Amino acid sequence: MPSPAIIGQSLISGTFIGALYALLGLGLSLSWGMLRQINLAHFALAFLGAYLTYQLSGVGGMDPLLTLLLIAPAFFLLGVGMHWVFVRFAVGPLGSLLATFGLTVIIESVIQWIWTADFLKLESPYGSASLRVGIFYLPVAGLITLAAAAALCFGTWAVLRYTDLGRAMRAAAEDGPMAAAFGVNVNALSRLLSGFASACAGVAGVALALSYTLAPSQIYAWIGVIFAVVMIGGLGKPLGPLIAGLVIGVSEAVTMALTAPAWAPVVSFSLLILVLLARARNI
Amino acid sequence: MLELREIGVAYGVATALRGVSLRIGAGELVCVVGPNGAGKTTLVNAIGGLIRIVAGGIELDGADIGALPAHEICARGIAMVPEGRRLWTNMTVRENLELGGYRSGARAARKEWMERVVAMFPLLGARLDAPAGTLSGGQQQMVAIGRALMAQPRLLLLDEPSLGLAPAIVLDMFNVIRDIHASGVAVLLVEQNVARALEIASRAYILDEGQIVAEGTPAELRNESHIARAYLGL
Ligand SMILES: Nc1ncnc2c1ncn2[C@@H]1O[C@H](COP(=O)(O)OP(=O)(O)OP(=O)(O)O)[C@@H](O)[C@H]1O
Ligand SMILES: [Mg+2]
Repeated sequence: MPSPAIIGQSLISGTFIGALYALLGLGLSLSWGMLRQINLAHFALAFLGAYLTYQLSGVGGMDPLLTLLLIAPAFFLLGVGMHWVFVRFAVGPLGSLLATFGLTVIIESVIQWIWTADFLKLESPYGSASLRVGIFYLPVAGLITLAAAAALCFGTWAVLRYTDLGRAMRAAAEDGPMAAAFGVNVNALSRLLSGFASACAGVAGVALALSYTLAPSQIYAWIGVIFAVVMIGGLGKPLGPLIAGLVIGVSEAVTMALTAPAWAPVVSFSLLILVLLARARNI
Repeated sequence: MLELREIGVAYGVATALRGVSLRIGAGELVCVVGPNGAGKTTLVNAIGGLIRIVAGGIELDGADIGALPAHEICARGIAMVPEGRRLWTNMTVRENLELGGYRSGARAARKEWMERVVAMFPLLGARLDAPAGTLSGGQQQMVAIGRALMAQPRLLLLDEPSLGLAPAIVLDMFNVIRDIHASGVAVLLVEQNVARALEIASRAYILDEGQIVAEGTPAELRNESHIARAYLGL
């Protein structure tokens, strides 16, 4: 049996990895649930964001957090453009899955071409620093990730719930033609939402670069667990990825501390199956 | 105020409307009746911009609106109570009503209209924070009408508002429609309940197989015996 200190420290690291799950899951959940687009390229976009952070900060000397000011707007435009293309060619949910798989492969090749397939690690003051609280260490990069995830998820939740714009988006997601009949410019709002989802990938990328070693092949390592996070959290529900992400992150970390690291992936899918079964029973 | 000139609508290769001409004067209550599958819903959706017309034109106060997207048609003061209500069932009654007044021309007076709608349908007052999908059929129809009123339309399109309602509520529904009309709103009413619809309409059109087969005042239509027998159930 591991000591309480080890369990405590794994709770902390589970929270921080859960925050990154939430950050990666938010955009995916929004575009899947509200735009009916399954954007597999979300993961590749996040890695592109991470590599750009590495470039701007590790090579260019910018503060990694300041890179957000460039990356978030650029990714927003990318998302807007992607949605424009999807609408222009009337791409449906399955089509979007295939098209964004293709995009993933392209982005992976571009990353490999520019930054090679070697492992890269951004050396930054945030990445190495940690706060000491009692016997525990809180990595600053993790705290930043958690703050960003909480701010984005709660912010999105509040906008969707309390503003005209957000309500119009929810109405358009449920019955687009009816929303249009009541004055909602559904296409414009969808572009906005797609841009936001993509900007979230950019933010997740910055967080990724702060804590993780980057390699193009790693793009695929996140897909399974993030899909579980998104499904457990509920499609299109902005607080879902935060809650599900933290639950999965912490459960994985505790499982690893109690058993062996190899058992961690089992956690998310067991939870997913349990949640899906519970939901099926309630219908 | 609204003029349809020989409009045509098709679903793929199937023609749903052919050469339909129809006029609604300012503040008029016009009724469209016809058998199932005649194209009544198609007509409402074409006016609202939910389906594109493939022939003819639609003019609102002399301006061509036939090619405008639905949200711009709404901005010009046309609101609808669609067939089957089509509320946003996951959203609360209040959110449904507020979204009814989403268009920029209606937003300023939204609070005031919300109070009017609740005064008109007192039952909704207690259910404002309930998800719209949890209401009974009659209450949902009230929300659908309330939502359309929140848009403060000049022209209201009603597609079978009495469908599926208990007989006692149907009477209320027709009284509400009469009140809305009396307040100066032009109304296009599609109804299966022909007798009641003709009581409150100033003119009526009969649609069959995508074409207008007769038009006139309720009295004129009742007097044409073959029309009355075939379409009005008299
Ligand atoms: N989405 C659609 N795709 C293909 N055909 C359609 C569609 N909607 C309606 N139709 C066809 O168009 C014709 C007109 O349908 P519409 O719904 O306008 O009739 P309606 O007069 O409203 O009928 P009801 O009284 O049953 O509501 C029908 O033959 C119908 O089968
Ligand atoms: Mg119909």
